[in-house]
Amino acid sequence: MSDIRLENLTKTYGHTHAVEAVTLKIEEGEFYALLGPSGCGKSTTLRMVAGFVMPSMGRIWIGGQDVTPLPPEKRDIGIVFQNYAIFPHMNVAENIAFGLKLRKQSRAQIETSVKAALDQVGLTGFGDRYQRNLSGGQQQRVALARVLVTKPRILLLDEPLSALDKALREEMKFWIKNLQQELGITTIYVTHDQDEALTMSDRIGVMRAGHVEQSGTPREIYEEPATLFVTSFIGQSNVLDVTCLEAGEGRATVRLADTVLKAGLRHRVPVGAGAKLVIRPENVLMGAEAEATGVPLLEARVLGETYQGAMLRYRLDVAGQELVAERQNQMHLACWEPGATVKIGWTPERARLLPAG
Amino acid sequence: MSDVKPIPLTFRIIAGIALLVLLVPVSIVVMAGFNSGEFLRFPPDGLSLRWIKEFFVSQTFLPAFKMSFGLALATTFVSTVLGTLASVFLTRSTSRWREMLRALFIMPVILPGVVLGLALYVFYIWTDLGLARSLPGLLIGHVLVTMPFVIATVTASLVDFDLSIEEAARALGASPLQAFMKVTLPNITPGIMAGTIFAFIVSFGQFELTLFLSTPDLQTLPIAIYTSLRYAFEPTAAAAGIFAIFLVTVSTLLTSRLVNLKKLLRRH
Repeated sequence: MSDIRLENLTKTYGHTHAVEAVTLKIEEGEFYALLGPSGCGKSTTLRMVAGFVMPSMGRIWIGGQDVTPLPPEKRDIGIVFQNYAIFPHMNVAENIAFGLKLRKQSRAQIETSVKAALDQVGLTGFGDRYQRNLSGGQQQRVALARVLVTKPRILLLDEPLSALDKALREEMKFWIKNLQQELGITTIYVTHDQDEALTMSDRIGVMRAGHVEQSGTPREIYEEPATLFVTSFIGQSNVLDVTCLEAGEGRATVRLADTVLKAGLRHRVPVGAGAKLVIRPENVLMGAEAEATGVPLLEARVLGETYQGAMLRYRLDVAGQELVAERQNQMHLACWEPGATVKIGWTPERARLLPAG
Repeated sequence: MSDVKPIPLTFRIIAGIALLVLLVPVSIVVMAGFNSGEFLRFPPDGLSLRWIKEFFVSQTFLPAFKMSFGLALATTFVSTVLGTLASVFLTRSTSRWREMLRALFIMPVILPGVVLGLALYVFYIWTDLGLARSLPGLLIGHVLVTMPFVIATVTASLVDFDLSIEEAARALGASPLQAFMKVTLPNITPGIMAGTIFAFIVSFGQFELTLFLSTPDLQTLPIAIYTSLRYAFEPTAAAAGIFAIFLVTVSTLLTSRLVNLKKLLRRH
């Protein structure tokens, strides 16, 4: 098992920077997700770690060893591709034995390892099946078994769930996470799906346009997004135009529609200038709930209500700015018709101030 | 009620006519080969194996047949190996010369055979390496005209081939050569086999180019048939044609059978 260090990792194609100066440290045994929209450089980063893409600049360390100049076969890594890349001309057992044969293990040794690997991924007795007779989830398991049987130092997963249907994806999410924890193997997981990243990872690196915008635990990423991009990419957020009145240590005072509010602050925001206040829909309190907390209140007009079963979603207008509030659909809580006015508010810790633009 | 037919009647009629036009001459040759008369003619005077037997003792046709067969085998081998290597380069290289090279490789099938034959002949004479009117010279010519077929079929299967499969092999510890031999090659075999069939057939029937490069003691079957028909109208030529048709058909069937058989075996 090994840690992974990326130092100033950069890949340019012509004049475009696919990956630009990515510096990361992934701890031993950590499950690290690279999350971002397509084209953000997350796959290129993974392919550089795997050795399929040569970095234009920067270095890669695996377990303290500089692997930057090494080809993939010398890196001792395991990678699972989006399409699983099962060898179609070999059966499942031969697929799993592939890496062991290259390592010149004895026939008996290979047979034992293959059997153990099949048991481990819950495919006992599937040894003589071929790829075309396997479901997506089974191929996924074979791909993992084929990789894990070689005891790689690190595990790289490139969108491994995106080809599966929703129900299977949920199941595999927990299965992969459990397997990873059981083995304690350092893992980089590339995905564009925020749910996967949030539920599976120890830490997440949110990427955009070749940069890592923010790296932190799922809780940090969700609750303390560092940029507007992270805010909008992970979950839903209301982004409101406010004026910054005072910016102090981790705390700021802002004005929104003649109401003075407080908000958490991580960045330098110029006082007196416009800034963005970010608040998640589930943190917007309405009516009696808002009044009970003693926070500064805002007057809002209800524009519309969406019924979502367990949740109710309100579209609200606050001094010309639209925002969305979400609350549990419970009998004892009040409801509002479109056109009604309602007092809303939120606890300052839940709101964050970010520089405009 | 029968199902709606997905092929319009007009297309079926055209296809039928085309098939007729293709098959009638072939069957005429076959029947002429079984002629019992002295001369090559249709309809035949009667049926006999006379000219078939004649073929087996012929001083020109049997050696020419063996020559064509051997040359086609050698050509197929060289063409398949070189064509496959070229296809790998043409599908995977990012070199800016790639498109130019592709055009160059395909050129021999676009150029008229006569032009290519003349060009090679002049080139052989000029370089004075002893290639003119020699077996190696003839082989080079045949490789040039058959390789485009191998390149076309192998390139098609390489384009369809999912590179991540080869990458998976690399990550599992295979060197580039190991990954290619153990993973890529078995998966592009159908394309390679198709290429070899084409190469064999094209080489076996090659005429114009061969005309420039062969000598009386280096005669291929097409040249022998052509020469014999210029001076005598003997049915042995048709008998030789029967064997040519037979060989090409059998080799095609056999190869496609082998490829399919392999696929069938893999299924279970």
